[in-house]
Amino acid sequence: MKTNKLRFIVFLLMFSLVAVACGGDTADDAAEAPDTTEAPQETLAAPATTAPPPEVIVVWAEEKVAEALNPLVGAYEAAAGVDVEVVAYDFGAIRTDVQTAGPAGEGPDVFLGAHDWVGELAANGVVSPLDLGSVASDIFEVGVTAFSYAGEVYGFPYATEAIAMYYNADLVDSVPTTWEEAKAACDAAGTEFCVGTPSNDAYHNHPFVASAGGYVFASEGGFDASDVGLDNAGAIASADYLDGLVKNGTVTNTDYGGALSNFQEGRALFWMTGPWARNDASAVNYGVGLIPQFDGNPATPFVGVRGAMVSSFSEKQVLAQSFILDFFATVEVQQAMYESDPRLPATKSLFAIVEAADPIAAQFAASASNGIPMPNIPEMGSVWGPMADALNVIRTQAYGTNEETGVTISNASDAVKLAAEQIRNAIAGG
Amino acid sequence: MIYLSMTLSKILRYIFLAVFNALIVYSIPLTLAYESWFFLSLIVVVGLLVNFVYFTEKFQPMKWILPGMIFMLSFVVFPAVYNTYVSFTNWSTGHILTKTQAINVLEDRVYTPEDQKGIEFEIYILQDSNLNFYYVAYLDVQNILFGKAVTNDEIFSTSLATHEPSLFNNGEFVPPDGFNLLTGKEQVANSSSLQELSLVIDKNTRAQLYKISVFGASTGRLSSTSQLYTYDDVNDSLVNNATNTICPVVKDNFECEGTEIEPGWRVFVGGENYRKLFSSQRIRGPLNVVAKWTFQFALLSVLLSFAVGLFLSMILNKDGLKFQRIYRAIFILPYAIPAFVSALVWKGLLNPDYGLINTWLGPIYDLIDMEPVKWLTTKESARTAVLLVNTWLGFPYMFLITTGALQSIPRELIEAAKVDGANGLQSFWRITFPLLMVSISPLLIGSFAYNFNNFTLIFLLSGGGPPIVGSDVSVGWTDILISFTYKLAISGGRGNLFGLASSVTIIIFALVLIISAISFRYTKRLERVYGNI
Repeated sequence: MKTNKLRFIVFLLMFSLVAVACGGDTADDAAEAPDTTEAPQETLAAPATTAPPPEVIVVWAEEKVAEALNPLVGAYEAAAGVDVEVVAYDFGAIRTDVQTAGPAGEGPDVFLGAHDWVGELAANGVVSPLDLGSVASDIFEVGVTAFSYAGEVYGFPYATEAIAMYYNADLVDSVPTTWEEAKAACDAAGTEFCVGTPSNDAYHNHPFVASAGGYVFASEGGFDASDVGLDNAGAIASADYLDGLVKNGTVTNTDYGGALSNFQEGRALFWMTGPWARNDASAVNYGVGLIPQFDGNPATPFVGVRGAMVSSFSEKQVLAQSFILDFFATVEVQQAMYESDPRLPATKSLFAIVEAADPIAAQFAASASNGIPMPNIPEMGSVWGPMADALNVIRTQAYGTNEETGVTISNASDAVKLAAEQIRNAIAGG
Repeated sequence: MIYLSMTLSKILRYIFLAVFNALIVYSIPLTLAYESWFFLSLIVVVGLLVNFVYFTEKFQPMKWILPGMIFMLSFVVFPAVYNTYVSFTNWSTGHILTKTQAINVLEDRVYTPEDQKGIEFEIYILQDSNLNFYYVAYLDVQNILFGKAVTNDEIFSTSLATHEPSLFNNGEFVPPDGFNLLTGKEQVANSSSLQELSLVIDKNTRAQLYKISVFGASTGRLSSTSQLYTYDDVNDSLVNNATNTICPVVKDNFECEGTEIEPGWRVFVGGENYRKLFSSQRIRGPLNVVAKWTFQFALLSVLLSFAVGLFLSMILNKDGLKFQRIYRAIFILPYAIPAFVSALVWKGLLNPDYGLINTWLGPIYDLIDMEPVKWLTTKESARTAVLLVNTWLGFPYMFLITTGALQSIPRELIEAAKVDGANGLQSFWRITFPLLMVSISPLLIGSFAYNFNNFTLIFLLSGGGPPIVGSDVSVGWTDILISFTYKLAISGGRGNLFGLASSVTIIIFALVLIISAISFRYTKRLERVYGNI
């Protein structure tokens, strides 16, 4: 008897809580009801004054970029009467999370990412085409190519990056134009190591396979996954050349951290990496030059391009487009972004400003202009592993016979041939 | 009087239930709004269950078990079931949406005939007193078009835009009477409605708002009045309006004249992934090598770290040892450092050219006239290094648990053995070790299962490398099943192969399950044998 009464009270308490939890809106409406009855005619007659709640544009950007962008969006918020919500997001997670959050109705309207995601995102239907229109003429061609997939452009490129060669300015005046001269410079300076760049990394090693005519995928009018050029004559010549450089000690087996500390401690004369490492490199008095040529061919680094894209699950397509083209793409915003997070400019107007002020950035830009964009097609996923493996074999001189498969890799050309074969098999086998 | 009889526990319980129920009731409309029937049923079932158990006195034990059960269901059983489900689908790059979502994405696409591409013009947006939107498209001086902006449903029933050059006076736009010209800010505020509207110029062409400019005039673009694709639900096919072709469904994509239209969608493919796994020589070849090494790695890791841990705990278990606690603390240190930090530090130490290990071993190499070991670059050195590092990471745990177990072994037993004339070794193997195994062996099995899937170490220390030269897929000598799965999942021919990778994890799950079941049975026998000592 006692417990029954007690339960009744608890139920009452419970339902009052429930009512508070889900009835918040109705309570507010009831409280506001008298106001609306007082002056109903006026509100109807003047529709322009009853402004709807401001639209919200959700932007996902990596932390540094978000920090740069955050103080700038205020101007747009004021001019457009919107809320721009810049979310600092882990860079790699943007790629995966737009694909899960978008279809679930949670994702961003605009996100800033790398061009090599475009193939995967477009194939998955989570990114909208972005016709650059009149803005396109201001963008370096490599940027537009990078964001093109299957005949459509999917983003506004705002920054490029490519590797070049840092040199220790206390020990050498510039980067020589040939590898032989680079080796001679190292011998003259007497450093323990010559050129530092990670072994097991297809990105940093791309110039070693592609400078003399090799390529990952043929790139005439969009990347063609059926044409792998990692074992053509040019690629084999480059691989043999790299083999020679390893054998004579010009490039040694190392990883990113090792190359970094060797350069910082003055134990390596040169360091092949990108503009993101400028802070690290400033531990010594450094300069930047082009990567030495391969038998007269300029080195072709992979060019990475960063851009702003519109999620196809955004319900504000036009607004998102307008945010990018009318605000983000303006040279003022681009310059302010550059000042707080310096990356190589992707637009000609910004480059003109940066070039004079920052000669090192200009060197990186010159290196990028010799390069090709990383292929953005989803098939690139099957390239990194085999390509890194082949380069690792050459860089560590790990030639020999595989006891399980009976395959022998006796020299550099075997390694790249095998990598090309693995890539073709992977693409054919799905 | 009733209130006084309420104990504190009851009050707390009812407050908790009240909050819990409020949350449950609050979330029901949310799941309804998202049409998430699975979560709705889950919430209702869990809600009823919790109320039933805590409001009645009949299920006393359930009150303790239920929270654990709910957490286990949501964090262990649900992911496992979901993973199994994914392994039976084609989930991969190009096939991550549902069919409805894919059709929506495709139907949203508009197209512009080749000769109208890239034409940009200023567009002015007007609103009449009935709040209808009107567009003025300034194509050029001769073509100033004005008309009501309509939604896609009305495109073919509305009247066409008319030429209204009079709207411009000396190049300045003059809005007609009765219309209100929208500023950029107002266009932004109405952008959700405006993006659905078009100004129909002729039967085939329309003008749409493309870019709202808050600093100047907004921009419009031309496009075809029809969408690029229309879905025909009677024939379950897609019609390409630009080329007038019919694109039927082929498995999980629409296919227009032999080319797949992206995106496709997820479908249930039955045992397809498993068949691929066992029939494709590409995958099966490395799978053998990897599976063998996974067993070796897990077994040796457990044995080595257990041996080192037991040895140290035996030594430090001596009575009257000075600084016993300090020694113990030192040996537990590797356990206190996160494994991923240790793995990366070891990676640096093991670098063959300038790593600390080879620098220290340098004199020894010279002494025995040996080539320095190229750590992590050959099969043997990489496998040795991985095992050494894992022993380093694993022994403190073993040290901890064996120290605890040793102290729980009654001292009289050892003394009795001594009286019976057993020497130290004999009493260890006959008395201490078997008793130790009774309490330790389930933990060893756990450790084996953990190392079987020790992705962190392999991924960070060796990345699976060095590569198995000559295999058809990218795979390395130190890859274990789970890191191989990861490589398979992210480096498929066309991007990610989540379905295929899930099927490998199911096989790993089955393997671990079988091994654990067998070992636990064996442990039970141990307990029976030594239980009455």
